[in-house]
Amino acid sequence: MIVVFAIDALEYNLVEEFDCKNLKQDYYGKTDISEFSQPRTMVLWSSFSTGKNKEKDVLEDGNKEMWSKKWDLKETFFSHFKSPVVLDLPGFSYDLEAHERSRKLLKAFFTTEDEQEKEKIREEYNKDAFEHHKKIKEEFFKALNEDHDFVLGYFSVADVIGHLNFGNKTMMRMIYRELDEMAAQIKEKCNKLIILSDHGMYGVGMFGDHSNYGFWSTNFKIPMKTPKITDFSSLITK
Amino acid sequence: MGKEHLKFVIVGHVDHGKSTLIGRLFFDTGCLPKEKIEEVKKICDSLGKELEFAYVMDHLEEERDQGITIDTAQTFFSTKKRDYVIIDAPGHREFTKNMITGASQAEAAILIVDAEEGVQEQTKRHAYILKMLGLDQVIVVINKMDLVNYDESRFKEVSKDIKEFLNKIGANEPTYIIPISAKEGDNVAKKSENMKWFEGMTILEALDTFKSKMDRSNLALRMPVQDVYKIDDKRIIVGRVEAGTISEGDKVLILPTEENAVIASVEEFLNPDKKKAVCGESTGIVTKEKAFIDRGMVLSDKEDKPIVTSTVKANLFWMSKDPLRKGETVTLKCATEEASCDIEKIEKRIDSSTFEVLEKDASELRNMEVGEVILKTNKEIIVDDFNKTPELGRFVIEKGLDTAGGGIIIMGEEK
Repeated sequence: MIVVFAIDALEYNLVEEFDCKNLKQDYYGKTDISEFSQPRTMVLWSSFSTGKNKEKDVLEDGNKEMWSKKWDLKETFFSHFKSPVVLDLPGFSYDLEAHERSRKLLKAFFTTEDEQEKEKIREEYNKDAFEHHKKIKEEFFKALNEDHDFVLGYFSVADVIGHLNFGNKTMMRMIYRELDEMAAQIKEKCNKLIILSDHGMYGVGMFGDHSNYGFWSTNFKIPMKTPKITDFSSLITK
Repeated sequence: MGKEHLKFVIVGHVDHGKSTLIGRLFFDTGCLPKEKIEEVKKICDSLGKELEFAYVMDHLEEERDQGITIDTAQTFFSTKKRDYVIIDAPGHREFTKNMITGASQAEAAILIVDAEEGVQEQTKRHAYILKMLGLDQVIVVINKMDLVNYDESRFKEVSKDIKEFLNKIGANEPTYIIPISAKEGDNVAKKSENMKWFEGMTILEALDTFKSKMDRSNLALRMPVQDVYKIDDKRIIVGRVEAGTISEGDKVLILPTEENAVIASVEEFLNPDKKKAVCGESTGIVTKEKAFIDRGMVLSDKEDKPIVTSTVKANLFWMSKDPLRKGETVTLKCATEEASCDIEKIEKRIDSSTFEVLEKDASELRNMEVGEVILKTNKEIIVDDFNKTPELGRFVIEKGLDTAGGGIIIMGEEK
């Protein structure tokens, strides 16, 4: 079984700082996403799934509509597998409703000027993100225990929580600890494990914004040091 | 005088539960801020995790990094008997350096071993350092007993392994070996309901039996002289009592001159009734006789005295990029004395991470290596068993203006 642990906004520097050994695996580094004009989640995961730079296609749909994008299985490298499971991945099996809720709360947070209201929204936003994380985690581990040749789980907790709480190091450390513990458990269930993020994150005061490189790690050797996100489809299928 | 305190260090393999044990000690002694626990518990709940003390310690560490609240490098908790200071041992190298140069000055140690994983390389290295420092107040805790179903035979097995290793390196048996679960709180502050087969003490009970530095008042006098002041017509000899006590009327020996003296008075500013100074106190004394006394000399008990020598064998931890070469002349500083010294021999060059002997009769000692060396001073110095008087058993080496090494005296050759 080949497994992709896809983590939105997993930041290379934090993986190092918190010394997440399981996330680092045997080989790890930063990905090169310099070919894209901005580190956009939907663009990057679409390009990963198809093995092609899909920036132009995604942006054509417009900022709001792009979240509804769904690539056909045949256009993605997942079609190489007999029984692939791809959970919550933007551009493929994304839970639009859940993520839309997050984005609305985020917008509300920045719209209101009432501090008490902000705190209330932050709590609801965080709670929502953690609930969604738990849900996908359960489905992911269920799939890992089944008979599949490919399983991908997309986890947005580091990105969603990071946007409003990147300055809260305790919270970020605990999320990275959680992801690191998950990586240890996943490793026991598969032959090949690829851990990949679309981009990283850097702090802007209390908040977080996308950084212009991603994170990758594998438990097998790959021929490049700084792979592009579009390189992984061929690395996985070969 | 405030409540007595004891400084100890928790060492052992990095994943064997140091943070959890520190967290548990704080929690069970009521020294962990409740709001911190609440904050971390909330995140744990959100992630569907159980609260672990390691998370709380992470949180405290974050705050330290941001300079917000406390210094976890030296954190405190209390029992009814006294206050405890836990010295943080961040990394192996830092730990080795701090312990050897005396920056840490631990009076006791807890060596932590995972019940499941057993004795690991790092456990051995840390045990080796404790032995090298002569720290003999050691509790070995076999942690994570909950993961081995509180099995007595597993406890016995790991205990046997650690005892065998300590025996192999010539260290004393640990004072206590205690089966614990820091996570669940078994045998840390409370006796375990899960290990009724264990009749020994809890960690807190065991720590309370250890002697703190203040207890060295019962030992023979050691008072290195810091300075001599002339006030009115009195010559006041100033220094700190590092072992024993000094009282009016005491007959003492002045080293290295071996002159005898009787204490005429113990001086304290605005306290004319002062008659006695105990271990740990900085004080001033006046002798009846006009004796030659200067900085670097030591006032000692007449019978039980330290060694006066110009040749010492020592374990030296080198921490300068510029290697220490055989035959080189450097400055040795021990307590208040200072002497120029030649590196006569580097008997062994040892890797400070693995403690592997890299070379015998080496020509130089490199950065982060430990050497077994013979030092020859240009004048007689006063040294002592590190265990008895750490201040006279440990030294630093200066090369140029920098502190480039620190060591523990293994033995001094009596003159």
